[in-house]
Amino acid sequence: MGTITLTDIRLADQDLNNLPLLKSLRQKSLSAKTEVCIERAHYITTFLRDMAVRDEPMEIRYARAVNHFLSNKIPLFPDDSLLAGTTTSKPFGAPVYPELTGLTIWPELDTMSTREKNPQFISREDTDVLNFDVFPYWMEKNILEATRAREGNPPCMKLFERIVFFIASKAGTISHTVPCYAIALESGLEWLIAEAARHEEELMGKGSLSQDESHQLDFYRGIQIALGGIVAYAARLSAKALELAAQETDPARRKNLAAMASVCAQVPARPARTFREAINGLWILQIAIHAESINMAISPGRLDQILFPWYQRDIADGVLTIQEAMELVGCLWLKLNDNTNLVPETGEELFGGAGTVPAVTLGGINENAEDAVNDLTYIMLRVTELLKTRDPSMNARYHPEINSDRYRDRVAEVIASTKSVPAFYNDIAAIKTLENQGIATKDARDYAIIGCVELSASGRSYDASSSIMLNLVSALELALYNGTRPITGDEQIGPATGTAASFATFEQFWVAFKTQLRWLIGEAVQLNEMMGRTHQGFLPTPLLSALFEGPMENGQDLIFGGARYNSSGATHIGFADTVDSLNAIEKGVFIDRRCTFPELLAAMKRDFEGDAALHAYLVNRAPKYGSEDPIAVKNSHNLLQFLYQTYQGYTNYRGGRYRPAYWTMTNHAGQGKLSGALPNGRKAYRIFASGITPVSQAASELAPCLNAVGGINPLHIPGGEAFNLKYSAIKDKDDLQKFSQAIESYFRTGGLHIQFNIMSYEMLIDAKAHPENYPELLVRVSGYSAYFKDLNDAMKDEIITRTAYDLKTGRSVPFPVQQTGMLPST
Amino acid sequence: MPDDLILKSAMKNFLDGLTSEVAEDVLQLLLSLMAAVLEFNPGFRKNIAGFNGRYQFKSKDGHITMAALFKDNRLEVVRDKDIPDPDITILFKDGKALMGYLLSPKPDILGSILHQEVSLDGNLNYLYKFAFMSKRLQLMAEGAF
Repeated sequence: MGTITLTDIRLADQDLNNLPLLKSLRQKSLSAKTEVCIERAHYITTFLRDMAVRDEPMEIRYARAVNHFLSNKIPLFPDDSLLAGTTTSKPFGAPVYPELTGLTIWPELDTMSTREKNPQFISREDTDVLNFDVFPYWMEKNILEATRAREGNPPCMKLFERIVFFIASKAGTISHTVPCYAIALESGLEWLIAEAARHEEELMGKGSLSQDESHQLDFYRGIQIALGGIVAYAARLSAKALELAAQETDPARRKNLAAMASVCAQVPARPARTFREAINGLWILQIAIHAESINMAISPGRLDQILFPWYQRDIADGVLTIQEAMELVGCLWLKLNDNTNLVPETGEELFGGAGTVPAVTLGGINENAEDAVNDLTYIMLRVTELLKTRDPSMNARYHPEINSDRYRDRVAEVIASTKSVPAFYNDIAAIKTLENQGIATKDARDYAIIGCVELSASGRSYDASSSIMLNLVSALELALYNGTRPITGDEQIGPATGTAASFATFEQFWVAFKTQLRWLIGEAVQLNEMMGRTHQGFLPTPLLSALFEGPMENGQDLIFGGARYNSSGATHIGFADTVDSLNAIEKGVFIDRRCTFPELLAAMKRDFEGDAALHAYLVNRAPKYGSEDPIAVKNSHNLLQFLYQTYQGYTNYRGGRYRPAYWTMTNHAGQGKLSGALPNGRKAYRIFASGITPVSQAASELAPCLNAVGGINPLHIPGGEAFNLKYSAIKDKDDLQKFSQAIESYFRTGGLHIQFNIMSYEMLIDAKAHPENYPELLVRVSGYSAYFKDLNDAMKDEIITRTAYDLKTGRSVPFPVQQTGMLPST
Repeated sequence: MPDDLILKSAMKNFLDGLTSEVAEDVLQLLLSLMAAVLEFNPGFRKNIAGFNGRYQFKSKDGHITMAALFKDNRLEVVRDKDIPDPDITILFKDGKALMGYLLSPKPDILGSILHQEVSLDGNLNYLYKFAFMSKRLQLMAEGAF
C-alpha cells in the first residue's frame, strides 16, 4: 500500500533554482544535436560476419554478438549526470539497427547531416563504415528482405510496400514492451546468470535431449552470454569513472565520478543496496536492452512502485534527502532522452518529431487493489513538471474508487502546468480490459503503459503492441470503389464488393465495407506472422527474455512465446473519419436522400467543387462521432466491435491474440495527405483525426463528446486508445477544479484514456509561424509527446485544428476565421 | 582523351541533363556517368567491390527499358531489353520522376506516392545502395565531394 509522508505533495519548495544540476543538464539536453551512432551496428556486424562460429545455434551466436558489443561499448561520461552509462557513443545519439530498417538511410548518408528538417549528423568516416562495411552485409539479411526471400515476395508484402493500406512494423521493430526490472535489481544479474546455469545443468544431466530441450539448452546458454555482456559494460563504466575521478581536479565532480565507480562495481551485477544503485542499475539495464532490441518504446514501467523500497529505506536510514531523490529521478528522466530514432526523410513526413517513447507509469492501485500512490509518485510528478521533456512518455493511472481526489487533482495540476503531460488512465476500465484478455487479476492490476498508450501486464506480457498500423480509410475507399482506391488507380486491390450504384441499403454497403476490412486485416496479419517467423530465425532475444517473467521458467525465448502472456497489437488510422463517413452515407444517402450514392462519389471526385449545398449538409448536418446522435453511436460501436471480433479470431505465432488499438502517432496526418475526399465532407489530401479522437471541429459540446468517447466499450479496445482533448486555457483554481472533475466524470462514464493539450488556437498558430519563440513547447501528439517545432507541417495543422473547449462554458471555442482554410473540411 | 577530362565531360553532361527538358535521357546519362567513374575512380569503384546486382529500369509508358548489371567490379548498361532475374525492378512515370526520387535534395515522398511516380518490385536494399551511389555522383559532379 502506498505511503505518503510528504508534508506538501506538490513539493512547491523544490524548483530548478535549487536543483542547479538538473537545470544545467536539462539545458544541455534540449540544445543537443542528433548524431548518428554506428557503434552497435559496427560491433554486431563485425562479430556475425567475421567472428561467429557458423554452426553454432543462432541463440548463442546472437547472444555472443550482443556480448561482444556490450563488452566493447565505450564508457562515456558526457556531462555531470549522477548516473553512469549512455545509450549510444554520442551525447545524443541515433543508433543504427541494420538488421531492421537501418538501411533505409543509405541513400541519405551524404545529405542527412544537413537536411532541413531534424538533421542527424554523421561523419565522413562513419558514412564509409556503414557504406562499405556494415550495410553490404545486411542486403539480403534484414528482416524485410529475409522475409521476402523466404516467402517469395508475397502479395501481402507488396500491399504493405504501397504504404497507403497498412504498415507492418515488424520490419523495423518488435521492442514495444515493459520489462521486469525488479528481479534484476533485487537479486542482481549474477543471480540470473546462475539461474540460467542451473537450468542448463539440469538439462545436461538428462543425457539425451529432445529437440525442444536442445533449444532450451541453447536459450539458457544464450542468457548467460548476453547478461555477461551487461556485467562487462558496467565494469568498464566503473573502471572509466575511477580513471576520470583520479584525473579530476574539481572536488564535486571527483566525488560524483568516484560514487559512480562504486555504484557500477555493484549494479546491475549484484543486488542494489541504495536508491542510487537501484536507479543507476535500472538505467544500465535499459541501455543494455538496446544492444539487442531497437530503441522504440522499451518502457521502464511503474517506476514509483519498482524503486520505492530503496527510496523508503534510504529515507528512513537518513542517507537520502527528498532533494537528492529528485536529482536522481531527474537524471534518469534526462538520460531517457539521450537517444532518438534514426529517421530517413520519408519517416520525417510520416512519423516526424517522435522520441523513442520509453513510457513511465505512475500511481493507480497495486496487486492487492490498494492505493499504490506513494511519496515517489509525487516526486516523479514534480520532476516531470519541472523538466518538461519529450521523454519519458509520462502516464498516470487513476482508480476512481480507490485513489484519492488529492492525487487526481495533483496530476491534473501537473497537466495544466506542463500543458500536456502526463496522460491519464482509468484503472477500472484498463484492468477489466486486460482481464478480458485472459490476464490474471493481480497481474492486470499491475499493468503499465507501453510506448504511446498500449496496456501491458508489466514484465509478464510480451505484447509487440505496434505490430500493425492499418488505415481504416483505405478499407472504406475499397468499399466505395469496388475494390479499388483513387490513389492506386484502376488496379483491383481488394475483392469486388459492388459499385456505389449497386447498394440499395446502408446495410448492404456496411457488409461490403466489412468484407474489404476483413480482407485487409487478413493481409496485414499474414505479413506480421511471416515477419514474426523471420524474427524467430534471425533475432533471438535472450537478454530481454532474462528480464521477463516466464522465459526462464519455460526455457523459451520471448519471440517463441516464452512470456506468461502474449499478444500482437494492431492500431488503426482514420477511425473518426471512417465513422463519420459511414454516418454521412447512412443519413445522407439512405435516410434523408440528399443525393444518390453515385452522386456522392461524383461530388467527392470533384472535391466538392460546385457542390456547396451538399458539402455543407455533410459537414454540418450528418451525424458526427463525438456527439450522442444514435446513428453516430451505433456506427462507432459497430466498427469497434467488428474490428475486435475479427482480430481476436487470429492467434499469433507466439500463441497470443491480436489486440486492436486506436493510436496513430503522426500517421493520421501523413495518411490523410494521401487520401481523396471522403463522404463526411473532409476535402482531398487533408489530415485525418488522431487516435480515437473525434474529427476536428465536429463535436462542439464537451459533455456529449466525453459521453460518446467514454461510452465506448473498453473491452473492444484491448490494445489501448489515444483520446486527445484540447482546452484553450486553464486560467484559475476554478478552471483547474473543473478540469479535474471533468476527468473524473469521463472515467465514471467508462473512458479508458485521455490526454490533453492546454493551448489556444492563437498560440499554436503563432508557434507554427514563429518556432524560434517556442523552442520547448511540448505537445501530446497521438500517444507520445513531441516538441511542436519538430513536427511536420501537416501534423502541426492537425494539432492546431483539434477542437479546443472552453472549460467555463463546456462549448468549443470558435476557430479563427482567417485560418479556416486549415480545417479538414475546407 | 585523358581520364579526368572524360570524367569532367560526363559529369557536365549529367548535370546539364538534370536541368534539361528531355528528362528521359537522364537515366542514360546517370548510368553512363556511373560506368565512367567506376572505370576511372578507384575510390568510387570500392562501392561495387565484390558486388553483384541486377537492376531493371522501366518507364510506365514503355518508352524506356534499361538495365544496370554490376559484376566483376564493373557496370554494364543494357538498353531496350528486359534482363532475367533482376534483384529489383524500378518502374517510373518518367525520367524526371525517377531523378526526383533518386536525387532531389528534398524529395517529395508523399507527392511521389500520390502521383504514383515510382513503384518498386524486389529487394529494396539494392535500390538504397544505387540511390547512395547516384547521390554521391551528383555531389561529385557538383564539386561538393
